[in-house]
Parts: sequence; structure tokens; C-alpha cells
Amino acid sequence: MKFIHAADLHLDSPFLGLTGLPTQLAAQVRQSTFAAATKIFDRALAEHVDFVLLAGDLFDRAEQSVAAQAYLFDQFRRLAAAQIPVVISFGNHDYATDQHQLVAYPANVTVFGPDVTTTTLTLKSGETVAISGFSYPQRWVSDDVVAAYPPHAATDWHLGMLHGAVATGGTNDHYAPFTLDDLRQKHYDYWALGHIHHHRLLAENPPIVYAGNPQGRAINETGAKGAYLVTSQGHELVPEFFETAVLAWDTATLTTAATTLVALGQELTDWLTAHPASLPTLTALTITTTRSLAAEEQARLAEWPALFQRTQRTALRAANRYFVRLTVVPPTATLTAPELDQSYWEQGAAQVFTPANVQSVFGKLAQEPSLAAWLDQVTPRDLQQAASRRLNQRVRGENPDVS
Amino acid sequence: MYLKTLTLFGFGQFHDRTFDLTPGLNVLLGPNEAGKSTITQFITAILFGFPTKKHPELRYEPLDGSQFGGSLELVKDANVYRVTRVAGARGGKVTLQNLTTDLTLPATQLPKLLAPVDLALFENVYALNELRLGTVFQASKQVVMDRLRHVGAVGSDFWLAQAQQLDKAADERYKPQGRNPQLNQQLQQHRDLTAKLEKANGAYQEYWRLLQDQETARKRQTTLQHDLAASRQHANDLAQQLQAWPTYQQWQELGQTTTTATTGFTEDDVTAFERVTSQVTAAQSALKADQHRLQNLQSHTQLPKIFQEALKVTPQLTPLLAQLPTMTETEQERARLLAQQRDLEQRTTGIERQYATASGQMPRPFSLATTQQLKQLQDNLALANQKRRRLQQDLNQANEDYRRLQPTRQRRNPLADKQVGWLAAGLVALIGAMFLPGTVFKLVGAALGIVIGYYGVFVVESQTPASRQLQALADDIKDLQAQLREGGQRIDELTDQIDAIGTAHDLGRLPAEQWLAAQAAIGEWERLTQQLDSVHQRLTATAATQQDFQTAVTALLPSLAHQDFREVLHQLNQLQTTQQQLATQDGELAGLTAQLKRDQTALTTAQAAQATFLQTRNVADEAEFYHQYQTIREQGNRAAQCQALATQLGAARLAQLQRTDQATLTQATQTAQATAADQQHQLDTVTTHLATLAGQLTHLTSSGTQATLRQKLANLETTMQATAREWLLDRLTSQWIAATLAAASGDRLPKIVAQAGEFYAQLTENRYTKIELTAETLRVQRADGAWRTVGQLSRGTAEQLDLAVKLAFAVIMQPQAAMPIVIDDGLVNFDADRRQAAYRLLAKLGHHLQIILLTADSAAPTVAQGPTNRVVNLTSE
Repeated sequence: MKFIHAADLHLDSPFLGLTGLPTQLAAQVRQSTFAAATKIFDRALAEHVDFVLLAGDLFDRAEQSVAAQAYLFDQFRRLAAAQIPVVISFGNHDYATDQHQLVAYPANVTVFGPDVTTTTLTLKSGETVAISGFSYPQRWVSDDVVAAYPPHAATDWHLGMLHGAVATGGTNDHYAPFTLDDLRQKHYDYWALGHIHHHRLLAENPPIVYAGNPQGRAINETGAKGAYLVTSQGHELVPEFFETAVLAWDTATLTTAATTLVALGQELTDWLTAHPASLPTLTALTITTTRSLAAEEQARLAEWPALFQRTQRTALRAANRYFVRLTVVPPTATLTAPELDQSYWEQGAAQVFTPANVQSVFGKLAQEPSLAAWLDQVTPRDLQQAASRRLNQRVRGENPDVS
Repeated sequence: MYLKTLTLFGFGQFHDRTFDLTPGLNVLLGPNEAGKSTITQFITAILFGFPTKKHPELRYEPLDGSQFGGSLELVKDANVYRVTRVAGARGGKVTLQNLTTDLTLPATQLPKLLAPVDLALFENVYALNELRLGTVFQASKQVVMDRLRHVGAVGSDFWLAQAQQLDKAADERYKPQGRNPQLNQQLQQHRDLTAKLEKANGAYQEYWRLLQDQETARKRQTTLQHDLAASRQHANDLAQQLQAWPTYQQWQELGQTTTTATTGFTEDDVTAFERVTSQVTAAQSALKADQHRLQNLQSHTQLPKIFQEALKVTPQLTPLLAQLPTMTETEQERARLLAQQRDLEQRTTGIERQYATASGQMPRPFSLATTQQLKQLQDNLALANQKRRRLQQDLNQANEDYRRLQPTRQRRNPLADKQVGWLAAGLVALIGAMFLPGTVFKLVGAALGIVIGYYGVFVVESQTPASRQLQALADDIKDLQAQLREGGQRIDELTDQIDAIGTAHDLGRLPAEQWLAAQAAIGEWERLTQQLDSVHQRLTATAATQQDFQTAVTALLPSLAHQDFREVLHQLNQLQTTQQQLATQDGELAGLTAQLKRDQTALTTAQAAQATFLQTRNVADEAEFYHQYQTIREQGNRAAQCQALATQLGAARLAQLQRTDQATLTQATQTAQATAADQQHQLDTVTTHLATLAGQLTHLTSSGTQATLRQKLANLETTMQATAREWLLDRLTSQWIAATLAAASGDRLPKIVAQAGEFYAQLTENRYTKIELTAETLRVQRADGAWRTVGQLSRGTAEQLDLAVKLAFAVIMQPQAAMPIVIDDGLVNFDADRRQAAYRLLAKLGHHLQIILLTADSAAPTVAQGPTNRVVNLTSE
């Protein structure tokens, strides 16, 4: 038996955290989710796999992408032509709604319903495979869905498909929370997980595997991206990861003692030479300065990253990198507030940098989903540090920082 | 700070009016419409600016056309400032003069002069009227804190400036109600993009709709194709029905004329009869032809007449014919026997005639010895005779020779020259003998011929003339004559002996020389007689056989009756020969004969069959049969035609046609065709629609608009987040500064609350003794210890609470913000006692700060007794 386990295709979803890209790169970015997914389907066809499991988040429902839907139809038809079944459980991003029932996928596609069901495939080799799974009926599934999975069926193999996250015990377990023990108790031969974008073997024997997404879409989705080709070896299923990403993300830090922008630029160029990338890599670099730049250099710091990208295009291309963020962190200093006692500052900070206050200040902006999402990630402490830096700059009569 | 004079150039109902005020309590008395509210608004407007023209009711522009605005003199830090404000942009044109130093200050100095009190704080705390006193309902710690913040940070100008800058920066980045700030613009951009995306996302709905449409259309197409095929089938069917209608009509007509004819026989019978008849005919014609051929053949082969007759009885005749050789043999035998008999009789008769006595008695035959004796005798006699004849001959010869030898006798033998003639004559005799009947004659003839030939050749030739020995001859003659006499005696002797024998055997009549021969004849006769008997017997037998045979033959062949048996045989032989000839020599004739036989048989059979057939069919003769047959055939034809039409139509079609009529059918056909055409049209439409859909889908799928917009939006959101972060940091930093300042001034709040409690007790004549400030609201404690929230207080009591808080605030914050308190009929809801208490409190406070009380209550001036107090009557000039 041989099958492919993929998840979180997030077809046609935009890349996050970009403010602008060169046209060519932008086109590449736009096509990347498709290109990566195509690699999976190509592999399925090349390997003549017995079936393909897609464990949710094939597309972002909210994106309402025509291209994604059309692409899926095309690919499913390709697999149908090769008589390769596809089993899909929709996740929190592509949770099932009526529209999916309106247009039927090709006959080789099995889509799980909102309740845990088991579909059984009979392979060309004569082996039988039971696959259990479900689709999200809405954005959140907080119930203990795993309990509804049946025990190992009387088939040669039994696979579980689950789009969800390991239970934390907190209130945010909205994604079919499970524990590894829950899964193990089912005595399945393989658990094909989705939702987490980093591929990972949560456990072996049986393999409990997050396929990760085939293409990283944000700066926090670094590392190798792809899917698993799972092959039976005796009575075990052995997952083998293969890469599919056409674009990579990377975060890096550079500490420098440079005091001029020229020196800083040189150091950055050197860094690029020392860190070439195999794939076109969207890189976020944090440059920590140990010494303050001269005042006039500080003034130009705002435009400097853009200038660097423009002038050092060759070096960037050679390193196969593009900077999506270039942060220059000034040396840290404690706030020295004139005329006011430090205790008052602390007292003030205690009042101001609270989630409630931040939320209240953010006010109507929180109605903007993207801003609200950003705010969710920001801790008051981060804000206080940033504010502290800002005050320091003011005390020193500097311009606001660049970030 | 206190206000020294108010000069109204033109404001509300006032123009060119000046009020001088004292630093203490000023009671400005006037009834309703005297201009109390106008004064309050005037102070606010001059200090903080005219309200915008959006609120003309608050601007109090003069009705009489005098110059809008006015001035006031205020005393702060021992300096007298004059603030003049007249109509102008942004809250009016301000002129600020330091009258003490006689310097004209920039208008921007005015807020700084008034700081930290701004319009909001002034209106919230220092300018009281009935309406504003209600604000205590919202009075929370935060409100109080906010007010405190304004005044509490006095002395921390740097930080306030920083906070202001931050706020300004923040405002540049984002204002909740703004339009131009960065984030507002970005948000707007976001909305626009979102709108665009939503529009583009319309494509998504459109896509699903199209897919659904496609699905529906495909289904519809399939249905229509199916329907169309059915409709076409139906229409075709109907059209064919219609086409078949004439045929159907024909069928119908035929069906109507077809009457069931009574027949004793079926079509098959006709065929059978035809067959039988044709068999007869065929047999007849075959027979005729064969007969004709036979006649032809007979004319050539001269067939016996009885042949045909015989043919009929061939089977019976055959065994007879088989006997024919026997019979022929018999006949021959008979003939032979008859011939033999005749011969025998003849011979017997001949012999009898020859030998028999007159009485017919036949001589007896010799015994063997007699015979031998006779033979001896005869031989001897013969020899003697011979000798004598030779002698005679010799004598004759000698005589002849003698004569010949004589010259007269010299002549040639005429015969000698005629050798060839002899030969020819012999030959002729020989050949002629061959034609003679009977072997004996033939032999005799032949011998004669030979003898003649011999004679011709040898005798005549050997007769050579002998003349020389004439003399010798005479001698010879004599000798010979002697010898002749001797011989004659011998002969006589012998003859006597023979005669004796002849007499003994009744052979008297015969010459002796014949006796021996007669002996043979007598033996022969006896044998013949015997033979004759035997022949006669055999003849009798033969005759019987022949008689039987003839009887049998006659029975078969009557024509042969009374005919000679030989003729019968001859005929039969001829018949057989003919048969044999036919059988052996001429296959055609034989075959023909056989054929004739068969023909005859066939004809008989066929005729019998025909007769039987007609009989069984109850038909008298062929004509009647054929009449019936004709009828039936016509019927049959009609039925067949009918059947053919029915077949042509088919059972189903026929059934269909029978259920309808032509008009209906035509109508139905047209309808069906119209339906089909309509469906075809629909199908075309659907097909076109599908093509359009496919095109639209391709367009939607290939359009990158959505993705581009989404990425743009994502990018914009990133930018927005960055901006929002900046804005938030600015705001939070500003807040932080404010909070820090508030913390620094935070210890004043308990003092204010305590002071307010004290004032409240005085105002309520100690009915309430304590105020507590909670995070949410204020609450008060009654003298009996019970707590009341603001909401539980009566309106007047609540207003008293607000007044107490505000007064306390003004008093406590006086070092930082000295501002006159302007009360515009704020105590109307107070009962008389509490109003008096309020007056008393105000009078007391007037020692510390300027209070301008505008009231219609004429009892008020009574509290304003004192050096620092003043009463101004608004209605008096």
C-alpha cells in the first residue's frame, strides 16, 4: 500500500506580512500554493499511489477563491483519470457548507460529513483500507470528536484523518482537541493530521503525523514544507516526507557594532553571501545594533532598508533571498524620566499596559479583523518595551524608531 | 485667577454693556430672559472661543447688529490681562493684552494662560447650570481622574508636551472619526479594496452559480437530448403513421370487401389440385409426347402392332415372352418334326413307292450275310460289268480308232477344242449346285460340275487321236470281242444268283443292282417309321405346349386369337425382338418405352388422385373446381394483399392507426414535430448556454483579480498593522505619560472626595455625611449609615452631590487651576433650605475663589453681604 498524506493546502491564500514585492516574486507568490499542491498531485501520479488523503484546509473558505475551486476540480479529475481515490476531511478554514454539496466532485473523491464516518477502499492489491474522519461543519469544533472514531475495523489497514490540535486544556481548544493517548487507543495504523502548518511526527508506532502545509505563507511558517508519502512495510506504515514548497520563509538575526549605514550595509551583504538559500526565500532579518548610530545616520535609517533592497539586488538574487522585514534594533537603554519619580512611571505603566486598557484604547480598530488579529498576538509587555524605547527617543530628542 | 470686568460689545441681547466683578461672590440677579445664560456663555466664549456656526443658538450673535463679541479682564498672578474676542475664524479673533505690562500677547498665549483649564474642563467643572449638574450621574472615578489629569500635571509641562506630541502623532496616524490620518486612509483603502474584493468575490458566488448552472444545464441538456430523441422518435413515428395512412386506407378497404367465402377446400387444396392436375397434365403430355415419339420410333422401327397392346400387359406378358425361345424352339422343333415327319413320310412313301409291293408290302430287309453275299455278288457283277464295259469300251475304242485311223475318219473331236467351255460349264454347274436346296443336290450338282470340268480338261484333252495303229486295233477288236462274250456269261451267272436273293426277299420288282441300296432304304424306312412315330409323339406334345402357350397369349393379346401359332410366335418374337431391340440396341426407344410405361402409370395414378381429390372436395369437375378456385384465389389475393399491407404496416402500427384518424394524426404529427423543433431549439439554447458558461468559467478561473486583490489586501493589512501599532504605541505612550502624571497627582483625589463629602453634608444639612468614589460611580452615606448610589438619589439631592464634588474639585485644585465658578441658575431644583445652605456655602467659598452666581432668586443677594461680594442687577443699567 502506498498513499500520500497532505493537509492545509490553503490554495490561493495570500501571503501574510508582506507590504510589497517585486512583480516577478509577487507572481511566484500568487502561484506558489498551487505549484506546491501540484507537486503533491504529480507525486501521487508518479508513484501510482493507492489514494490521497487531504486532511483539511484545502482552501480558505473566507477567501472565496474561484481559482482554488477550479484547481481542485482539475486536480481531482487528473487523479480520477488515474483511478486514484481522494479522501477529504474539511477543516476549520474550508469547513463544509451547502455549497460543496451543490457541486459534486468527481466520483473518486470522498468527502467526510460533519459526523465521523468510515469509508473503506479496496486496493488493486486486494488489501482493504478503512479510513475514518469528519469534516468541520463550522469554524470551530470544540467537542471531543476523537471519541466518535470507531475502533480498528476488520480491514487490513485502518487510518484516521483528523484536522485538529492537541488539547491544551485551556479555553481555546476549538480545533477538535485530542490527546495522543486518545488516538493510540483506537489502534489505527496511521493518523493523518492536519491544521498545524509544521510537518511533524507526533508519535511513531503508529505514526501520528502532521503533514504541515505544502507551502509556507507567513514568516512564522519557516522550515521545510511538503507532504508525506506513506508506504507499507510489512505491518507498518512508514511515512516519508517530501518537500513541495516553491518559496521559503526564513527569520534571521544579525548583531552588528556598525555605527554607519555603509558599514551596516556591508555587514548585511556579507551575511547574504554567507547564507545563500536553495529556494527563493522571503527573509525577515533583525539587526541588533550594539552601538547607536550617529544622529544623521539615524535620520536616514527609515529609508535605509528599502534603499538596501534596491541597491543590493544582485547580492540578494545571488543569495536567493528577499527581505520582507528588516528591523534595526537600537541598543537598549532604561528610561530616565526627568522630574518624575520612576515609581510613578511604573505605576502609570501598570495602569496603561494592561490587556483591558490596550483593548479599550484600540477601541473601534478592534472591529477590523486583521488589526484585531494583530492585537491578539501583541502582549502589553511588548508594547511597553516599544513605548519605553519611544519615550527614550523623545527624551533624547530622537526621531521615532524604525520598524 | 478671577475675572475683573466683562465688556459685552454685542452678545445676545446685550450690547455695549460692562459688568465689574469682585474676586469673591458675585450675584447677578435677573428674572427669566434677563440674560443670565447669555453671561455664562459670554464668559465661556471669550475665554475658549465662539462655538462654530453649526450651533448658532450657542453663538449668541447680537440681534441689533452691534459688533459680535466682547472682552474681559482677568487677573492672574497679579497681572491684569484683557482678552478681546470678536467675530473671526476659528472661534473668533482674539486679542490678548497684558494690561499690567501693557504688552499685547499672541492669541496663542491665551490657552497657556488658562491652562490647565480648557473648554472641556471649564464646562465640566466650573460652568454650572441645571443641565450640567446632571453630569454627576456619569461621574465616575475616571471622569474625576480625567479632570484631575488636566490639572494634576501642572508643572510637568515637558511630559504634557510630549504626550501632546504623541497624541498629535497618533492623531496623524489615526482618528476614530477622521479621514485624513494614515490609518484612516489605509482603512478607507482597506474598505475600498475589500469592496473590490467582495465584488471580485462576487465571482466566487458567480463561479458556484455558474458551476451549478453548468450542472443544471448539463442535466437539462441530457434530459433534452433524451426528450428530443423521444420526441423525434414520436414525430417520426407519427410521420410514418401518416405516411402509412394511404396504405392503411387501402387495407381498410380491402378488409371491408373481404367476405368469407364458403369453401370446401383451402388454398393448399388448390395447390394440391393444381399439383394433381398438373401431374395428370404432365403425365398426359408426357405420355402423349412419349407416344408421339414412340410412333415416330415405331414408324422407323416398324414396331409390331401388338407392341402397344403388349405394353399394357407387359408384366403378365414378360413370363410368356420368357418362354418364347422355348416356344420358338418348340415351334422349330415342331416344324422340324413336321418337316422330318413329312420327310420321313416322303421318304417312307418314296421308299414304299420304290420298294413296296403292289400291295404296299415292303420287302424284307436282308440279313447281314445276305447282304454280304449280295454285295459280293454285286461287286462281282459290277466288276464283270465293268470289265465288259471296259472291254466293250476298248472294243468301241478300237473300232473307233480303227475307223478314225481310216482317212475318212480323219477329223477332229469338236469337243476337244472346247476345253474352256467345259470348264466354264463345270464351274457354272458347281456354283449352280450351291443354289440347290438340300445338301444332296448340292453335292450332286457340285460333283457334276467337277465332272464336267474334269471332262473338259482331262478327258477331252486326253482323247488323243490314234491312227497309226489301225491294224493293231483290229486285233484288239477281236480279242476284245472274245473277252466280251466271256464276260457276258459271267454276268448272267451272277445275275441269276442275285435274282434268287431278290425273290426271297420280295425284291422282285427291283433290279438287283438296287437291292443293296434298297436294303439301306428298307432299313431306312424302318428307322424312319420308328422316327416317325417318335416325331409324331413329340409333335403331339409340342402341339399341347403350343396350345397352352397360345391360350395364355391369347388371353393377354386378344388380337392374336385365332391366329396361327407360328404367326403368334412370329408376332411375339417380333415383339420380343422389338423389345430386345429397344432394350439393347436403341436406349431411347427402350427408355421411351419404359417412360411410356411410367407415364402410363403416372397418368393413371394422377387421374385417380385427381378424381379422388375432386371427390373429397365435393366438386363435380375441374371447371367447377376452378370456378371455386378462382373465387378462393381472388379472396386469397385480397387476403394476401391485405396481409401484405398489414405486414407492411406492422401489427403495432396497424393497431395505432386503428385507434386514430387522419386529421388527428396530422394534428398530432404537427404537434410532435413542433415539440421536437421546440426541444431542439431549447437544446440549442442550452448548448449555447453551456458554451457560454464554459467560457465564463474559464474567464473566472483564469482571472487573477481575486488573488491579486487578496494579496494587496494582505499587504495592506500588514501595513495597517504597522500603522496601528505605531498609533497604539503613540496613544499608549501618551496614556502612560498621563497615567504617570495622574499617579503623581493621584493623592489629590482622596482630598477632593473628602472635601466634597464635607460640602455635601453642608448642602444637605448633614443628611448625608460621606461620599465614596468607586471605580464605577459615586455613592453616598446617609447620616444613619445607609449607602445610596447616585441612581437612588432624588434629582435635587443628586444635583447637590454634583455641586459638592465640583466645588471640592475647584477648591482643592485651586493652586494649580484657579478659575471662577459660574453658576447659572443651577440651584433651581434645590428646596429653599438647601438653597439657603448652598448660598451660605458659596458665600463662604467666595473668600477663596471667585464665584459668579446668576440667579432669578431675589433671596440670593441676602447671602452676598460682605466686602468681597457684589450684587449686580442685570435688568438695571
